[in-house]
Amino acid sequence: MKKYQQSPSRDSHHSRNAMQHSCGSAEHTVHRRLFLQGTMAAGAASTGSFSGLFSVPALADVAKKSGKKCILLWLCGAPSQFETWDPKPGTETGGPFPAIPTNLSGVKVSSLMPQCATIMDKLAVVRSMKTEPGEHFQGIDVLTRGDKPRPPFTRPILGSVIAQQLGQLDSPVPQFVLLDPCPEGNEFKQFKAGNWAGWLGAEYGPIRAGGNYAIPNINRLSEISEVDHADREALRQFLSRKFENDQRSEAAASHNAAFNRVNGLMSCAPLFDLNQLPEKDRQRYGGGAFAQHALQARHLIENGSTFVMVANGMPWDNHVFQHEMHQMLVPELDNVLFQLINDLEDRGMLQDTLVIAMGEFGRTPWLNDARGRDHYPKAWSMAMAGGGIKGGVVHGATDPLGFEVVDGQVDNRNLFATIFEALGIDPHQEYELPGLPTFHRVENDTQPIREILV
Amino acid sequence: MKGFCNPMEPKVRIGGLLGCLLMSVCFLHGGGALEAAESGNAVASTEKMVPRNHEEVVAQINQHLQRGYQNRGLEPTNSCDDRAFVRRVYLDLVGRIPKVAELEKCLKDGIETSQQRGRLIEQLLQSEEHVIHWADLFDTLLMGRAAEAKYAKRRQHQWRAFLENSIRTNQPWNQFIEEILLARPADETKQGGNWFLFERNNDHQQIAEAIAPAVFGIRIECAQCHDHMLVDEIKQSHYWGLVAFFNRGKNEDGKAGPQVMESAVGGFSEFADLLGDSTPNRLAFLEVDTVEEKRPGKDEKQSDEDELYRPGRTDNVPRVPVFSRREKFVTKVVRDHPRVARALVNRVWALLMGRGIVHPYDEMDSIHDPSHPELLDWLSQDFRDSGYSVRRLIRAIVSSDAYRLASRRPEHVDDPATFAYYLERSLTGEQLARSIAIALFGDLGDDEVVNSVFRQQFPDLLPDEQVANVKESLFLSNGPKLQDLLMASKQPTHLIPRLAGMDTDQERVDLLFQVMFARVPDAEENAVVKAYLSKRGGTAESIRQVAWSMLTSAEFRYNH
Repeated sequence: MKKYQQSPSRDSHHSRNAMQHSCGSAEHTVHRRLFLQGTMAAGAASTGSFSGLFSVPALADVAKKSGKKCILLWLCGAPSQFETWDPKPGTETGGPFPAIPTNLSGVKVSSLMPQCATIMDKLAVVRSMKTEPGEHFQGIDVLTRGDKPRPPFTRPILGSVIAQQLGQLDSPVPQFVLLDPCPEGNEFKQFKAGNWAGWLGAEYGPIRAGGNYAIPNINRLSEISEVDHADREALRQFLSRKFENDQRSEAAASHNAAFNRVNGLMSCAPLFDLNQLPEKDRQRYGGGAFAQHALQARHLIENGSTFVMVANGMPWDNHVFQHEMHQMLVPELDNVLFQLINDLEDRGMLQDTLVIAMGEFGRTPWLNDARGRDHYPKAWSMAMAGGGIKGGVVHGATDPLGFEVVDGQVDNRNLFATIFEALGIDPHQEYELPGLPTFHRVENDTQPIREILV
Repeated sequence: MKGFCNPMEPKVRIGGLLGCLLMSVCFLHGGGALEAAESGNAVASTEKMVPRNHEEVVAQINQHLQRGYQNRGLEPTNSCDDRAFVRRVYLDLVGRIPKVAELEKCLKDGIETSQQRGRLIEQLLQSEEHVIHWADLFDTLLMGRAAEAKYAKRRQHQWRAFLENSIRTNQPWNQFIEEILLARPADETKQGGNWFLFERNNDHQQIAEAIAPAVFGIRIECAQCHDHMLVDEIKQSHYWGLVAFFNRGKNEDGKAGPQVMESAVGGFSEFADLLGDSTPNRLAFLEVDTVEEKRPGKDEKQSDEDELYRPGRTDNVPRVPVFSRREKFVTKVVRDHPRVARALVNRVWALLMGRGIVHPYDEMDSIHDPSHPELLDWLSQDFRDSGYSVRRLIRAIVSSDAYRLASRRPEHVDDPATFAYYLERSLTGEQLARSIAIALFGDLGDDEVVNSVFRQQFPDLLPDEQVANVKESLFLSNGPKLQDLLMASKQPTHLIPRLAGMDTDQERVDLLFQVMFARVPDAEENAVVKAYLSKRGGTAESIRQVAWSMLTSAEFRYNH
C-alpha cells in the first residue's frame, strides 16, 4: 500500500499518544477526577503536542487503518445532463456541443468533458435518474438525505450517516467536512442553515471550511498555556454537560458537540491549510475555488477524514444563458474529476474511496426564452467512481430527446442504497434511537443498482 | 428632476434576466418559500372593538394554549423557578442577564404573584435598556445583519434613533410601517425613517424582498422567475407588482440628509416567466385589488412634466408626484391589511416564545399552518383593536403561563409547536455581549464596541433550528475578544478582583454561580469548582479560567 501522506514523516509515536488525549471523548466524570486530583497538569506532558506539534503525517496512521471513504462533489443548482453525461447532439434542443467518443466503445459524452472521456472505464454513469422534487430546496433535501422529509423528524444527511457508520469518532481529524468556499447560494444557503446531522445528533454534523481556506481561531492564544486551555475546557465540559443532561436539552447538546471538536480541529489545523499542498498539484486541479477544494478533499481523505463534501454555492442553476455558463462550469468539473480519480488511483486509494458527482436534479430538454434550461427531475444523470463501484458501466437510458427514462429507471432511494452498499453499509438497517419512529437507512427495502456495484 | 426616463424600454425586463443570471453566478440572494394566509383570516373583521384589558389578553393566551394541550392530549410542564424567570425576563425585555443586586431585589420584593411579576415586567418595559434591546431586534429583522460600516451609517443617518424613538414612545406599529415605506418625513425627527428604503440603494427588488417579510410575514424571492411552485397565492405578478410600487424611487443625498425621491413617470416594464410569456408589471400585491394606473401605449413616450407633481416643493423637501405609487402602496395595500397585524404578532411571539405560531416566522403562507390558528387570529385582531400597540402585546405574552414554563423538555413531548415547555434559544450576539459585560464588569461599559464584535460572530436571530457551530466554539476558545474581556475585568468593582479578594473558595463559588447562572450550585458543582480553585490557590488566573468555563457553557449561552 502506498503512503498516504504528502509531507515528510515525524515521530508518530509521540503524536499518537497525544491524539488520544486531544480527541475530546469528554466524559465528564473523567475530567472531574482529573481536576479533583490535580492530575491535569501532569497529563499535560503527554498532551503537550496536541495543538502545535501535531503533524499531518501522524494522523495518517489512523487513515491507514480505516476502511471506506467518500468524496461528494455536490454540483448544487443542478447541472445539465445534456452538457455532461447524456448528450443528444443534433436534436432540436440538444444544444451546440457535440458528443465525443470515450474509451468505452459506443459510449459518448459531451465534448465539454474530454478528460473524463479518457477514463470512462473507471466511471459508472447513471443516465436514468427520475426523482420527484423540482425545486431546489426540496431537491437538495431529498438528494443529500436520501428521502423526503417527515416532520418533525430530520433525516441525517449522507455525510453524517457515513461519518457515523465508517468514521472514527476518537479521531481528531473531522470525519465529515463540508468544503464550501461560497457560503451563499439561494436555496442552498437556506438549506445550509438547517440541521444537517438530523436525528444522529450534532456530533455527526460537518465541519465547515473553505473560502479563504482557513478556519478562524484555530490556534491557541499564546497567553494561555496548554495546560490551562485543557483544564478550563474540562471544567466547561463538566458544567455544560450537566446542564445538557439536566435540561434534556438538544440545543445544549449541539453546543457541547461543537466544543468537543475544538481540540481535534486545533490539532489538525495544517490539514486545512491549502498552502501546504504542492504547487504543482494545485495547478493541476486548476485555480477555481471548486477545484482547489476538491484537491483539499483528497488531502483530507488521505489524512483521515471519512466524508468530504465539496460545494461552491449554487452555480449550476443556469436558467439564463445555460450554454455559456455550462461552457465554463463543465470543463472545470471534467478536469477535477479526472485529476481526483487519477490521484486516488495513483495512491492506491481508489478502491476504498467512493467519488460521487451529482446535483439535485437535471435540466429541461428544451430551452426557455432566456436560453436557459429549467429544473427537470424526470430524467437526469449522475456519475460515480471508486470504492465499491464498477467502472466502465453506463446504467439506464433516456429517449432520443431526453424527455423520459426509457431504461433502468432509478430514484434517490436506489441511489442511496447503491452508495451504502458500495461502502459496505447495510442500506436497509433500521435506526434504533430513543423516541424515533421506524425509519430505515433506505426506506421500503429499495434495491441498489446492482449493475454498477463491484 | 433627472434620471427618470423612458418607461417602455425593455431595460427592466433585461435587468430582471440579468438579475437572474447574476443570482446564479454570484449566489447573492437567500431563497425561500413564500406567503399566503387562509383567506378567512385575510378578510378579518374590520369592526372596531373596545380593547380588552391586559388580564383578559393574558387569559385568552392561556386558554388557547390550554386547549392546544388538551387537543394534543398532553400536559405542559411545571412553571420555572423564580430565579429562572427573572433571568429570562431580563434577557427578553432588556437584552441581558440580571445583575446580582437586581436578582436579589426581585427575590426580596417577591416574584411569586402575577402582580409582583407584573411590576418587574413594567419596570423593564419602561427602561431605556428595553428600547435598545428591541431596537437591536427590529433592526436585525427589518434591515438584516450587516458589516460594521453599515451599522455606522444606520446610526449616522438617524435610522437607529428613529427606531429607538418608535420603541420608546410605543409608536403604533402600523404608523411606523407606513412611515418607513412612505419615506416622506413629516419633520426632522422622522428623517431616519428614510433609511429603510435608502440603504437598499435603489435596488428595487431588494426593497420588495425586504418588505414582504418585514410587513407581511412572507417570503417572495421564489416568485421572481415564476409563480411560487408550492405556495399558490404567491404569484410572479406580486413580486414584480411590489417592485413596481417602489421602482420610481431614487436616492438623493440632499441638504436635509438622504431622501428617497419619486418620479411621476417611468417604471413600466414587462416580466417574463420561464416559458417566455410577458406580462405587464401592474401595481398588484397579494389579495389586494390591483391599483389602477394609466399605462402609456407601446410607442408613447411620457414626459416628466411639472404638472405631474404636487405644488409646494422647497429646497429641502423633494417634490411629490400627484400619483405616487409609494403612497398608493401605503394607503391601498398596507393600511388595514390583516397580514400586517398577523405578521407582527407572530414575530413578537417568536421572539419571546422561541418559535412563531407560524414557523418559520416569516413564511406565513398556505403551506405553513399555524400551530394555534385561533390564538393567532385572536391576538391579531386584538392587536389591531388596541391600536397596534407592540408593548401591550409584549406585556401580555411575557405575563402568560406558557412564558413561565420550565425549559426542561418533558419526556413525552417532542413537538416544540405545542409550547408545552419553554423553548430555549441561543442569545443573540448583542445579548451575549451585554450579558458577558454584566457578569465581568457589573455594567455595560462600552456597549457598542463589545456588541460590534459579537454581532458579527453570532449573527443568528430566530434561526429555524438551534444548531451550534464549531466556529463559535473556536471564537470563544481561541479568539482574542473573550480573553480581552476577561483581562479587562480588573477594576476593584469588577468580578475578577472581587473574587480574588475573597477569603475562601466557597465564597468565590457562591458568587460565581450567582453572577453567571443566577442560581446556587448543587453539591457536585460546588465540589468541582471549589476543587478547581483550591488546586490553583484561588489566583486571579484560576478565577478567570472558571469564569471562562461558565461564560462559554450552554447554561450561559442560552435563554432557558
